[in-house]
Amino acid sequence: MEQNIDFRNPDYFVNRELSWLLFDYRVLGEARDKNNPLFERLKFLSITASNLDEFFMVRVASLKDMVNAKYHKADFAGMTPEEQLEKLGEAAHDFAGLQYTTYKRSLLPLLSQNGLKIVEQHENLTKKQAEFVDQYFEENVYPVLTPMAVDSSRPFPLIRNKSLNLGALVTKKEEAGKKKAEVEFAMVQVPSVLDRIVKIPSEKENVTTVILLEEIIERNIHKLFLNYDIVCVHPFRIMRNADLTIEEDEAEDLLKEIEKQLKRRPWGEIIRLEVESGMDKRLLSMIMEELSVQKQAIYQIDGPLDLTFLMKMYGLDGFEHLKEEKFTSQPVPALPVDSDVFEEIRKQDILLHHPYETFSVVVDFIHKAAKDPQVLAIKQTLYRVSGNSPIIAALAQAADNGKQVTVLVELKARFDEENNIVWAKMLEQAGCHVIYGLVGLKTHSKITLVVRREEDGIRRYVHLGTGNYNDSTAKLYTDIGLLTCKETFGEDATAVFNMLSGYSEPRSWNKLSIAPLWLKKRFLYLIDRERKHAEEGKPAQIIAKMNSLCDLDVMEALYKASAAGVKIDLIVRGICCLKVGIPGISENITVRSIVGTFLEHARIFYFDNDGKPEYYCSSADWMPRNLERRVEILFPVEEKALQERLMHILQGQLRDTLKASLLQKDGNYEKIDLRGKEKYNSQKAFCEEAISASRVTEKSMPDRVFVPETHHV
Amino acid sequence: MKIFAAIDVGSYELSMKLFEFSGKNEMKEIDLVRHSIDLGTDSYGTGKISQEKVDDLCRVLNEFHKIMDSYHADDYKAYGTSAIRETENTMILLDQIHQRTGLQLSVLSNSEQRFLDYKSVASKGTAFNKIIDSGTAILDIGGGSIQISLFDKDSLVTTQNLRLGVLRLQESIKRLDARPEQVENLLDEIAESQIAVFKKLYLKDREIENIILVDDYLAPIMYKGVEGVMAPSEYVTEKQFDELLNALRHRSAFERAQKFDVSTEQANLMLYSAILLKQMLHSMSASKIWIPGVTLCDGIAYEYAENNKLVTTPHNFEQDIIASAHNISKRYQGNRKRAETLEQISLTIFDSMKKIHGMGKRERLLLQIASILHDCGKYISFTNLGECSYNIIMSTEIIGLSHQEREIVANVVKYNYNDFEYYDTVYSGIMTDKTVYLKIAKLTAILKIANGLDRSHKQKFKDVKMALKDKDLIITVGTNTDITLEKGLFSERAAFFEEVFSVKPVIRQRRQ
Repeated sequence: MEQNIDFRNPDYFVNRELSWLLFDYRVLGEARDKNNPLFERLKFLSITASNLDEFFMVRVASLKDMVNAKYHKADFAGMTPEEQLEKLGEAAHDFAGLQYTTYKRSLLPLLSQNGLKIVEQHENLTKKQAEFVDQYFEENVYPVLTPMAVDSSRPFPLIRNKSLNLGALVTKKEEAGKKKAEVEFAMVQVPSVLDRIVKIPSEKENVTTVILLEEIIERNIHKLFLNYDIVCVHPFRIMRNADLTIEEDEAEDLLKEIEKQLKRRPWGEIIRLEVESGMDKRLLSMIMEELSVQKQAIYQIDGPLDLTFLMKMYGLDGFEHLKEEKFTSQPVPALPVDSDVFEEIRKQDILLHHPYETFSVVVDFIHKAAKDPQVLAIKQTLYRVSGNSPIIAALAQAADNGKQVTVLVELKARFDEENNIVWAKMLEQAGCHVIYGLVGLKTHSKITLVVRREEDGIRRYVHLGTGNYNDSTAKLYTDIGLLTCKETFGEDATAVFNMLSGYSEPRSWNKLSIAPLWLKKRFLYLIDRERKHAEEGKPAQIIAKMNSLCDLDVMEALYKASAAGVKIDLIVRGICCLKVGIPGISENITVRSIVGTFLEHARIFYFDNDGKPEYYCSSADWMPRNLERRVEILFPVEEKALQERLMHILQGQLRDTLKASLLQKDGNYEKIDLRGKEKYNSQKAFCEEAISASRVTEKSMPDRVFVPETHHV
Repeated sequence: MKIFAAIDVGSYELSMKLFEFSGKNEMKEIDLVRHSIDLGTDSYGTGKISQEKVDDLCRVLNEFHKIMDSYHADDYKAYGTSAIRETENTMILLDQIHQRTGLQLSVLSNSEQRFLDYKSVASKGTAFNKIIDSGTAILDIGGGSIQISLFDKDSLVTTQNLRLGVLRLQESIKRLDARPEQVENLLDEIAESQIAVFKKLYLKDREIENIILVDDYLAPIMYKGVEGVMAPSEYVTEKQFDELLNALRHRSAFERAQKFDVSTEQANLMLYSAILLKQMLHSMSASKIWIPGVTLCDGIAYEYAENNKLVTTPHNFEQDIIASAHNISKRYQGNRKRAETLEQISLTIFDSMKKIHGMGKRERLLLQIASILHDCGKYISFTNLGECSYNIIMSTEIIGLSHQEREIVANVVKYNYNDFEYYDTVYSGIMTDKTVYLKIAKLTAILKIANGLDRSHKQKFKDVKMALKDKDLIITVGTNTDITLEKGLFSERAAFFEEVFSVKPVIRQRRQ
């Protein structure tokens, strides 16, 4: 029967960009969810905006590139790049519409009710406020502004990507009164060095009043163009093509090439122009013409442009009661304070679940290694690290202490290049051996190897993770980490770094599967094995948690497995291009997405394997870029107790009724109908569990008894 | 605990293995780095390694050096094999490498290299001992040549080097401009004839059941297994191998590379290896293949461990060398009984003179081999015995002996018959090296009197005792037969002995 089914039928798949947009809708759903604290809703709305910005810069831009390159091949869902752009255009306009209704209709009134008043238009300022604002302008804003006027002698100015600007139509004063006064274009960038939200005096007590910076500038714009009359002023914002497609085979020195690309970045094609709705038509057409913007790329916005300022709003003092209670990552029970991390790892493998359990144990692990006299070498891959990373500091210190430190720094991590180059150079100066990525591949794997010379021989300690070595994001992203000193893992980790250093692949791997060479095959094998078991009438099950699912081969394998009767539960936060409930194809597949306080980021895979279950974690999603164009690692979790914890995490997420949305047959996501169901928020539950687990260990700490020295030292 | 780095500068690949020795007999591999660099093609083709490759070689060796240091390695050994050996300017190259990397690279002669390979196999201990219980051959495939070694019972008896290395074969095939489908037939033709001759000369009535495969091309793949073709295993049956060969042969190099997950370069060499293995299996009618999964680096480390008493070896490697010497002697119709008598006498002299000659275990072994091979030249000529023996030994590989050692043996055998040449009259060859010269002189002196004692070849001196008394070496012979001949011919030989050691050998007959 199976032979007759074409599992790659385009009808069975969803376009990845449209699926992504559904994800942003789910985030927007959180901003619209009345059960969320008000300020959390602001944050979610801000996230939808920054998400959308990135989406345009990367994905829409790349579709544009395809169209420009006359590439007409349809994707697996049967859509050509043109069709995708068209559909996305419509959908993105609808989305922006919903963003701003949420802002204006739901959030603004609620904020006002809760003592935060936002003066939307400078015309609505009271006299006292107006005076304050004008003075603020004179003292703080005016000095940093660079007004620009355009006439025949001055070219149209360069407008920076993603910057917020005020565009104005002006006429020369001496021409005032003339019937056909010539209208000219003038503009000023809203400076990004100043806070966009400005607190101003309130009319009433206990109310915080704010106004946005662009309104202050707009009110005072005549002071910038003294010889002109202002006809109209409107904010606008552009988005350019920022996708760096680096010709890696040609780049002699990758580093230099990326630095060059960065400088070139501001001159991309305009892929989106946001303007205030009701913008003067003459002004709009002037901007469109000068920047060669196409009509579909224009978004008329009813409200403030660039909602990412809401993240700053979230940070305003005095509204703690409108926010989710701050969660502090808990100590790891397996690593008591003052314990020797190496000794604890020797006792047993340690599984870490961030951010519920603190990431600082990983930082400490590297710190400790840097100072430990027995440590010979530290090797680590770094993808995205925080601004003032303690890990970088520890690595530099290790090199200083005479350890051999090898660091693979991925320079191609999107948007982070500038940052990464700086500290990569710093590490090099400290004496570390720095590998600036691999030609043609992004190194996305997260692995650390510490080689220690112990009494009974060389012992290797390995940390493997699903998330970046970034102490800031580790507080917000849910991730899994494993600390082990098993020889098999140590050997594989050594082999990974040998490969990353340019040496030949090992003759065989003990435990790890590495992309792009072996990982995809491994996943397909694991899925197919379940299919075979199902066909033999044995129970077969897959539970997989990841961020995105859009690899055609994997989806096909999942369809085949489902058709054979494998029960497949997928927990996919973002893009998911397969469909559920297709008769004979995917009736056994469920897909849910969890969008909560923390960003779901762990990749966990469970395969029943005929009652001998296997658990894996990975840095890779089931996406072609992860499986084919990146260095990624899949590692098994073998200890029974740790497997149970992973299963607990998966079950918790499958049980979630509050933050989970279920993918429906029609391709939409819906929150779970709570009738007759327990209310369960998996992230909250994990927080509580982490707190009580760490309390247990505190209790089991030894009694506070003084220990007398028994002999003189 | 000790950490040791073994570096192999192969003809196709540079590799370094780091080993940890902790406790008795514990040898653990802790790291392996490999870098493909085709030195062989340069060497075999032009006789020199191109400058770019020398640069690359030095760059990688420098990195190896750093890695080694990062483990705080206690010691290292770096060996070059055929690609380095076959360059015309080996000495210059080695010096350059030393200057640029700080690493002292030595060159292994083929027989030393194969012996190390063999040691690496033997380092697998019990598995190895079990295999060699039944008839076994080792097929050691290299870039420049292959080595076939045969076991009799548990010792190695014959080893032959055939210039059928995979890189060399690849070069030939390229020159022939063969179509892909012709390749196997051509290789068959080239290999078959040589292996058939080997079989005729050396195999005789030996039954070979197992083949131990040592190579860097095919063995790793078999060891690791191939999805849908064969499961990973150290032991492979003929049938499994046939399936593998089928999977290999009906594909282009590119497809092979994809299927087997290797580079296209290796995909080609794999096929060549497989065809050689097929030839071996068929001509020897062997049915089982064992892949110990070891490389030269394992052998280098094993030898280091042996020399530094970090491991004790269950297998007697010296016995292998002696057994192959006996085998060579047999091939040239030497008299086993006589050889044994001579061996016994010369070793007794050696042992009782220890304080005087100051030589060690290794020299004793060389003397033993010289005794065994002392008359092999008779096969060709009775009159020109010395020269003929010398030439035979110089053209016969004795596994486990370095080239220099073999030359010592050949010289000792030669001067056993010919007049010894004094240092000032030697202008070329190994005798120009002073220490070697003295060794040859001493060993020759011993062999000469031992030979003199058994002049009649009737083993009259079977029961012989030696004792050093002042300036005399008293040789007591317990025999009732007439030893006039020996006594008479002895004085001339004794003179050289006295000249070398300042000890006079004196024969005493004790009638029983």
